[in-house]
Amino acid sequence: MNGARWLAQALVAEGVDTLFGYPGGTIMPFYDALHGTPALKHVLVRHEQGAAFAANGYARASGRVGVCVATSGPGASNLVTGIADAMLDSVPMVVITGQVPTTLMGTDAFQELDVFAMTLPMVKHSFIARRVEDLPMMVAEAFRLARSGRPGPVLIDLPKDVQIAAAAHLPAHAPLPVDAAAAPKDASLHEALALISQAQRPVLYGGGGIALGDAVQDFRTFVDATQIPTVLTLKGLGALPTRHPLNLGMLGMHGSRAANLAVQESDLLVVVGARFDDRATGKLAEFAPHARVVHMDLEACEIGKLRCADAGVRGDIRTTLARLTLPCAAHLHGRNGQARKAWRAQCRQRAQQHAARYDAPGDSVFAPALLKRLSELAPDAVVACDVGQHQMWVAQHWRLDHPRKHLTSGALGAMGFGLPAAIGAQLQDPAARVVCVSGDGSIQMNIQELATLRRYQLPVKIVLLDNQALGMVRQWQELFFEKRYSEVDLSDNPDFVALARAFGIQALHLDRADGMDAALQALLAAEGPALLHVAIDTAANVWPLVPPNRSNSEMLEDAATEAAPAIRASNPLPESTSVQEA
Amino acid sequence: MRYRLDLTLRHAEGALARVLGTTERRGFRPVAVEGETLTDGDRWHLQMTVEGERPAETLHAQLAKLYDCLHVQVQPCS
Repeated sequence: MNGARWLAQALVAEGVDTLFGYPGGTIMPFYDALHGTPALKHVLVRHEQGAAFAANGYARASGRVGVCVATSGPGASNLVTGIADAMLDSVPMVVITGQVPTTLMGTDAFQELDVFAMTLPMVKHSFIARRVEDLPMMVAEAFRLARSGRPGPVLIDLPKDVQIAAAAHLPAHAPLPVDAAAAPKDASLHEALALISQAQRPVLYGGGGIALGDAVQDFRTFVDATQIPTVLTLKGLGALPTRHPLNLGMLGMHGSRAANLAVQESDLLVVVGARFDDRATGKLAEFAPHARVVHMDLEACEIGKLRCADAGVRGDIRTTLARLTLPCAAHLHGRNGQARKAWRAQCRQRAQQHAARYDAPGDSVFAPALLKRLSELAPDAVVACDVGQHQMWVAQHWRLDHPRKHLTSGALGAMGFGLPAAIGAQLQDPAARVVCVSGDGSIQMNIQELATLRRYQLPVKIVLLDNQALGMVRQWQELFFEKRYSEVDLSDNPDFVALARAFGIQALHLDRADGMDAALQALLAAEGPALLHVAIDTAANVWPLVPPNRSNSEMLEDAATEAAPAIRASNPLPESTSVQEA
Repeated sequence: MRYRLDLTLRHAEGALARVLGTTERRGFRPVAVEGETLTDGDRWHLQMTVEGERPAETLHAQLAKLYDCLHVQVQPCS
């Protein structure tokens, strides 16, 4: 028994059944230990970033801890984007990196990199095991921390000599229980109830904390009981089914007109597990200008961080919602009952008036229509997105019924997320129907993972929306940089159908709207992994769009393209404005 | 605004770097730092003076959630 073998057994004791990784020099003892640990299924990716994103997708879809492994130096640095994504989107992960032997640490040894220091700002916590005796505490704490409270990634840096050190004297691994979430204080609940009871135009603003708090059903019960119109963040989508009559859709930069205007006109925002992200709020100073705020969150540091809360309810969201549901419902027909009824009607009427249209003219494929149709054909699917225009189209048009069925790189916006995340989601539930929606820019960030898909014969269905451009950047250059297109042209893309087939993945091509249903059905009916390459219009844009540093009430619509220069001229973009996706 | 921070930390690898990094990233500039290991050898006592315009309550909450931070107190100072 050495340290590496002890660690492998500890992972099994923690309930880990799958880990994603790539071997190399300093992690070889751990890979050797896998030989004696059949309970651990190791998935060999083709790039360490794929391992981190696959573990990330595994964790997002299942709610369990995702585990990834890499060697020191470049192996560890290649994990970094996936770790950052897990931190920003609160995904429970344990990351194990090999390290040069302790005697060589700090000597600039071959493949020595201080991954501990590199990742300090992007982990929930991290450890360096300098002695084999450190392992029991560090492994137990890593899993406890990853799972407890607001989840996140925890890194264990594991020098090679610690992996090979004798470990027979170590106790068998004993997992630690997850910390119980703090209960909300009575006084804060009373304050929240008072504000909710006084409101005439309340809006529920739900975020990713609903699913993280395992509070989806409680949230739905609260919505149904209180009849409060609801908007959702990108990470909150699915907390209320898309078709629910009180669901006004996503708010923010690419939110629906109904959602954004409801927020802007509301007199009370009831924020549930959301954090006033800038993509959701637009110009913060003009966000929901008439609203008082009830902010429910597990974490104290989120309450009042960006918007002062008139009532901050810190604590477990399930408990908070459960305790507020009946008292809030009692006010449904109270003194503000008529005003609220009119408000609901106004919100619904606006949602109907501004509902998305799918009857785009012409013969070419209209991506929103395709995505809506695919979600109808595969209502049970888990959809993993990449980042860019297609990601926003999924958010706007996919019929979602649970947040864990929508895997999207929300806060980091990391291109290359989709394919490996879909692999992770498929491995956490081999019977699940998993769809990856990607773009021609994003998929080339981790296209090597088609080999992983092929090796394990994972039946992931990929829809590749190819506009031969970095579409989101192109859209911004069109609207805000006077159509000076700079380095967004991908018209020399590879033949994706041939490329997929070269990896051993069956592939189809679609370029006409009238072939859409047949192509989607063929994709879904395919045995094993399959890719549908869809040619779409390069000029197709995502609408609505709130220009940067503008109020959410100032949404541009498709026909407003020509108005964009006027907005730009009257309010130049701040220098800090950036767009990270395509 | 200027604040005085009193922190008790685990004497763990990276604890000081995490506190300093969090403080700076969250918008506060350290202007004085003083610290020592407590007699039990397992903990640090760290005193910092910082300047920043963001809410001190948020900095307090961000520091308090660090695993290595056992206690933190933030007080305005002149």
